[in-house]
This record gives sequence, C-alpha cells and structure tokens, in this order.
Amino acid sequence: MAAFIRLENVSMLYGNNGTRAVALRDVSLSIEAGEYVVITGESGAGKSTLLTILGGLQVPSSGAVLMKGVDLSSLSADRLADFRRETIGFIFQAYHLLPYLTARENVMVPMSPLRTSAREKAGRANELLTSVGLSGKEERLPSELSGGECQRVAIARALVHDPPVLLADEPTGNLDSSTGEQILDLFSGLHKRGKTVLMVTHNRANLFRATRAIRLQDGLVAKDDPLMAPYQAL
Amino acid sequence: MNIRKLAWKNLFRRKSRAVFTGLGIFLGIGTFVALASLTAQMEQAVQDKLDRFGANILITPRTEQLTLGFGDISLGGTQVAHSRLTAADEKAIRGIEMKERLRSVVPFFLAAADASGKNIVWMGIPAMEIAAARPWWKISGSPIREKGEILLGSEAAAALDKGPGGTVVSGGRTFRVTGVLHPTGEKEDGMVIAALGDVQSLGRNPGGVTFFEVAALCKDCPVEDIVAQIGGALPGARVSAIRQVVESRKAAVDQFRRLGIGVSSIVLAIGGLMVFVTVMGSVQERTKEIGVLRAVGFRRKAILSLLFWETGWISLLSSASGALAGLAAALLVAPHFGVEQAGVASSPALLGVALGMGLGLFGTIPPARRAAALSPTEAIRSL
Repeated sequence: MAAFIRLENVSMLYGNNGTRAVALRDVSLSIEAGEYVVITGESGAGKSTLLTILGGLQVPSSGAVLMKGVDLSSLSADRLADFRRETIGFIFQAYHLLPYLTARENVMVPMSPLRTSAREKAGRANELLTSVGLSGKEERLPSELSGGECQRVAIARALVHDPPVLLADEPTGNLDSSTGEQILDLFSGLHKRGKTVLMVTHNRANLFRATRAIRLQDGLVAKDDPLMAPYQAL
Repeated sequence: MNIRKLAWKNLFRRKSRAVFTGLGIFLGIGTFVALASLTAQMEQAVQDKLDRFGANILITPRTEQLTLGFGDISLGGTQVAHSRLTAADEKAIRGIEMKERLRSVVPFFLAAADASGKNIVWMGIPAMEIAAARPWWKISGSPIREKGEILLGSEAAAALDKGPGGTVVSGGRTFRVTGVLHPTGEKEDGMVIAALGDVQSLGRNPGGVTFFEVAALCKDCPVEDIVAQIGGALPGARVSAIRQVVESRKAAVDQFRRLGIGVSSIVLAIGGLMVFVTVMGSVQERTKEIGVLRAVGFRRKAILSLLFWETGWISLLSSASGALAGLAAALLVAPHFGVEQAGVASSPALLGVALGMGLGLFGTIPPARRAAALSPTEAIRSL
C-alpha cells in the first residue's frame, strides 16, 4: 500500500550560482496516515523548508512530493490552494492571526471564499473554539488573548476544513512551558482522533508525544527513528 | 465572514491608509465633478449671454449690382433690390420648422430724413425690442418707450447739439430726445434712433423693413439649417449667418470645455497614481497576511477579489463624497464665474462616481496581480 505522504529524492536549493545555499539534499521519506512525526534539527538544517515542501507551499528544486497519491508538483497554483485547504492545516509559531478580526472571525477566514451561509460558518467556528477550550472568548480580538489562547485559535483555524494532515512550525516556540504543554496536549488529542501530525521543533521535550522523530542536519536526514510507543521519550 | 466583510474590516484596521487612498479619488472626482458641473453651467451661461448679446442671422432684400455706363464710359453702379421686405415677413420667419430656436426677430427700417435742418439717417426699431436687439448700448438718459421719442447717436447729438430733454423737428413733427448713446464705434453713432412706425412715416414707407435681425438659439444645432429654412420661407431675401458671432460663441464654449477636460484629466491621473501607490504599499505591508491566506487555501482569485473589494469600498465612498463635494464647490463658486442661476448638474456627479470606481479598480490591477502572484512561502518568511 502506498505511503500517505512520500518524498522522493527531494532537493531544495536557494539563490543563484554565486550565493547558492542547499536547504535539502536528496531527501526521501515516507509518512503513513496517523503518524505523529516530530522534525528536529539545528537552525538552518532544513526543517522549515521540509515543512513548506510537505505542505505544498513551495516546489522542490528536484524530486517529487506525493500526498494521498497526488504529485503536488503536477497541480496548478489554484488546485494546490484547494488541495491545501482540503488536506492540510497549518499552524505557525507566530500564530499569524489577523489582528483586526475576533477569534471567531479568524477561525472563519479559511471559509471566506466559500459560499456557505454565515450562520453555518459561525456555527463551525464556535464548535472548534469550544473544542480547543476557548468557549466564551469568541468575540475577543487577538490582542485581548494570551499567547496560548492565540495558538488555540490558530489550531481551530487549521481544523476548520477537518484536514487529515496538520503541519505545525514550532507551535510552542512563543509560549511558556506550561502553556506549551497544554498546546501539545491538544495536538496529542488530535493525533488520537486520527490526524497525521508533522511538527517542526527545537524542543526535545516535544518528542515525548510523537510516534516518530526525524532529525535533519545540513539538509540531510541524519536520524529517522520510529519511537517504541506513542508519547514515549526518544 | 466572507471576502466582502474581510475587506471591509481591513479598511477599519488601516484607517489612515484607507483615508489616504480615498483622498486621491476624493480630490480627483471632486475636481472633476466641480469642473464638469461648472463648465456645464458656464457653457449655458455663456450661451445665454451670447444669445442675449445680439443677433446671429441677418435678413436683407436680395440685391444685384447694376453697372451704369455708355460704351467705354463707366458711370459707376447701383444695387437694385429684387424685392422688398415688409413687416408681414416676420410672420413667415416665425413660421419655419425650427421656430422654437428663434429667440427674437427684430425688424429695422432705415431712412434718410431731415432732423432740425440736417440730413441724417434715421433708424427705426420697435421701441420695446431695443434692449434685446442692442443690449450693449449705454444711454445717457432713458431709452425710447413710445412714438414721438428718439435717441441720438453720440455724433448725431454733437452735430445737432442736442441732449436728453431736447427736441428735434422732422417732417413737420417734433420728436423729444430721451437719451444719447455712448459712442459705439458703429454707424449708429451718427444716426437718430426712433420707433419703427415713426421712421416708416418719415420715409413714406408704412410697413417697410430694411432688414431683419434674428437671434437663434443654436447651442447644438447648425445655424446654417435655420438660415436655409428662413431662406426657403423668404425666397426674395438674402439670409446670412453672422459667422463671427457663431464662431466666437463656439470658440468660447469649446475653450471652457477643453479647460475642464484638461484639468480633470491631470487631477484624475494623480488620483489614479495615488491609488496605485497606496495599494502597492498596502500589498507590500501585508505580504505576510496574504501568505497566510494563501496557506489556508485562498486561491489567487480570492486574493484579487479581497483587494478589489477593499479598493471598491474606498472608491465608492470617496468618489460619492468627492462628487457631492464637487457639486457643492461648483454651486458655491459658480456666481464668481458669471453663472447667474447656479444649479446642480446630476450627470457629472453620476459620471464622477462611475469614474472614481473605475479609477480605483484600475489602479488596483497591478498591485492585486502582484499580490495574487506571491508565493505563500515567499510571503511567510517566518515559516
């Protein structure tokens, strides 16, 4: 059976001949549905590049990325946007919430281009905000929420189309350890509900919850360890 | 939440930028509407004034030059009229197809007659038509109102040594001088002006008319058409347009229109540039936000739509307020530009709103295309 996500000899080069930088070198990976993969490595190891390529946000210089059997490089920009909307939920380190929208409206943003009724969209947003523990804070602006609450809103926004894959870039990077734990609990819950989670992190403590850890070094996969059991240290 | 609401909310977030973007359109459309409205009103005012200024069609009897001589000896020549004009011809003139265009038809009768012992040309004109036919006359004293009253041209007054209140005797009748014309530089300076009937009596030609002056309202119609129709109604007459008046009228109106178009074009171009620069700046400033939207599944069309809605809201509000301000400005300044009855012209305002919307949306095309073409990764550098 084909892997849920497959990278075949993926390389990524930035810049021109004069200032060429290699972010990924001939990386091949297979990720099965329902895995909780943590990607670690030093700064500049290629973690974020790997995540953007996995999420179809950029096309590799060479190699292929297949998700659910679809070669992402074969899709047009608009088809790729549709694919991201239906398949992938992004969670960013800096939340990237729109500051002029309330928590509910931020969750509704990915539904803006759709013709669904406003009531239906608001209902879905409320449901998701409740699921991430933000019931009663739907009308608050990001400036009126704590960092952890903003990240919860971002997670709710990522889940709005119920995507099978969640890509998270240092989701606890801006949070204190206690709040970070709560966010990681949320990710664990989502994983338990069948989501495939790929998380880039510097923090080795995040490994306790994952089922697999990939370590990148200088654009190469230095280590790819399936963990003995979920939520166990490497 | 939809694209429209997202765009609307973003405007309130960046109020100063929205105001600055709108300011370009507001000023552009305000100026356009003010100038267009003012030009339209000035055109009308100039038209009215020129129409009041005097006649633009002259009707005289058709004449032919007759050369007199004997063998090789030339005795000069004379003009022979084929027919004569009479007061009854006025009815024929007023009966033409384009009669609604005729503002006035004034008969004149000229006769050489004695005036207190001096032979002078008398000009007969219906007393009540003098103000309409010769609005530029300035009179010391008062105009004639009835039979038995006369006006003297400045040279005639000097020759007769008469002034307002004096009398002139002619054909056994005594005429009272009501006023003296200020010098006009025209032939009437040496004439006596009297009621039409009085001069017809002095010239022993009751009902006779030397020429008609016709003032036709011809803003959008060729005066030649009216000339042709009058010529058809009076086959024995020579009907000619006073080209100079017609041309100067057209030139004056065209000049106003060109001025309005020129100034409006410059201001609108500046407004469009302001929209382009501010929206481009906004795209630059919101690169990350656009990247997030692309990452969460916004198609390029949705990004385009978002930016067009934003500029659309600004354009609509600023061009509508600019149009209102322009109308108000035109209304306020119109009296200083010689418009006696200032009014509100709705068509420049409607055109202005449409133009403002078009300008705003047109100025958004390049930045919106740039925004839509942004790669999500380029946009979110922090990812």
